[in-house]
Amino acid sequence: MEKAKYWQGVSPTPVTSEDPFDELRDLFFARLRTDRVHLLALGTALACCEGDPAYPLEKIKLFAHRLRGGAAIFETPDIGDAANILEEAAALAAIVHADRSDASVRTALDSLLNKLAIANGRPHRVDTGPEGLLPRRFKG
Amino acid sequence: MHPELVRTSQNLTPVVSDAVVQKMGPLWQCRILVVDDDELIRAHLVAVLKLAGYDVYEAGSGEDALRVLSTAPCQIILTDWQMADMDGLSLCRNVRLKDDEGYVYVLMLTVRGTKRDVLVGLSAGADDYIVKGAPVEEILARLEVGRRITQLESSLRISNQENGRLSVTDPLTAAHNRRFLIRNLPRELERARRYEHPLAVLSCDIDRFKRVNDRYGHEAGDETLKTFVMRSAGCIRESTDWIVRIGGDEFVLILPETTLDGASSVANKLCQLLAAQPIKTIGGPLFVTVSIGVTAVETTDELASISVVELLRAADRCLYISKTLGRNRVTAASAACTSP
Repeated sequence: MEKAKYWQGVSPTPVTSEDPFDELRDLFFARLRTDRVHLLALGTALACCEGDPAYPLEKIKLFAHRLRGGAAIFETPDIGDAANILEEAAALAAIVHADRSDASVRTALDSLLNKLAIANGRPHRVDTGPEGLLPRRFKG
Repeated sequence: MHPELVRTSQNLTPVVSDAVVQKMGPLWQCRILVVDDDELIRAHLVAVLKLAGYDVYEAGSGEDALRVLSTAPCQIILTDWQMADMDGLSLCRNVRLKDDEGYVYVLMLTVRGTKRDVLVGLSAGADDYIVKGAPVEEILARLEVGRRITQLESSLRISNQENGRLSVTDPLTAAHNRRFLIRNLPRELERARRYEHPLAVLSCDIDRFKRVNDRYGHEAGDETLKTFVMRSAGCIRESTDWIVRIGGDEFVLILPETTLDGASSVANKLCQLLAAQPIKTIGGPLFVTVSIGVTAVETTDELASISVVELLRAADRCLYISKTLGRNRVTAASAACTSP
């Protein structure tokens, strides 16, 4: 992705520039790093949820929605598309029986985490297997 | 288009020419409120709009937006849909419910892009709808539509206000006219009844005004009328009392919360003021006098029983007495006493 070059071999803090738009874009990409961590935590919360998954699903949906908006404005369509799919999957899972939608949420979540990892300039290392970060609810 | 804007959207094709920007006219009058709970998106939009020449305010939620609007009225709102606290739809509905002066043009900018979303947004009160990810040029072009509409609405509103003012104003003297009297004296009487406060009316007629016109010309007559109004204004309270030119040289002064004694004092002051100083006219200085009839309603019974017409007639009867007794004088009587 074109914009990923900002963060290939990057320093931990965003590079500031004279251009306010460049600076905002840098801040956006810097935020994507924490967004990825946040999303992982949300995925874990969903996986560990014992009862009704409506609350973690709602949190994921809202988070994906926010990512979608930022991606649209800062022109990162890959992330926007992946966030859109996750938002829809989470919304559907919250409405229909969660068991039937777990796979689609898992797939969408994994895809978005991948896109975020690429945007952050490093490969995605999330283990989504049975013993990974997103174990139980995502066994499919 | 500012070159910076192009850099933010790498997929933009043609850049808006300077000529188009010039046609857009001065944007300094147009204030835009950007509402989005994502601070980076907000900052981006604010930067874009400032570069485009708009006066930009920002808010992080619908509630924040309403707070901003209460202190800094904005002509255009560019709002996200989904936000914590109050969302964009509720903001639209709240804006439409407000009875503020001036139309507020609402443009929704959201990632929700289905047909149904658009319809829901528009039915909530948005004027336009644009999906996030649209080129900066498109956002600016749509905002320009909003600017044109609000500017047109503003000029029409100001024009209507001015027409409304002119319709109740005498063009020569700038006093109120008969239409204003017909519209407002009933309200004044009703207010006096409700609070049981006195209300006084002065009926004035410039003595031998026809002679002024005949001897010195209409221009001198006009100057006389204008001076009369100016001197009358100096004798009454600016915030509550008002002067009406009924027609020709006949005037009525309405003095709310004024007793018969108080109104008589005002009338005597006006009578003396007019007679004491000559009026400068094109025909030379003129000594002019005025005859005044004064009446008032003070008691609860009087207030309850009298009508607007009867009140004016009572003042006219007193004026007639002043004229009969030799002009340049004041005759005062309560409305009840002057009943035929």
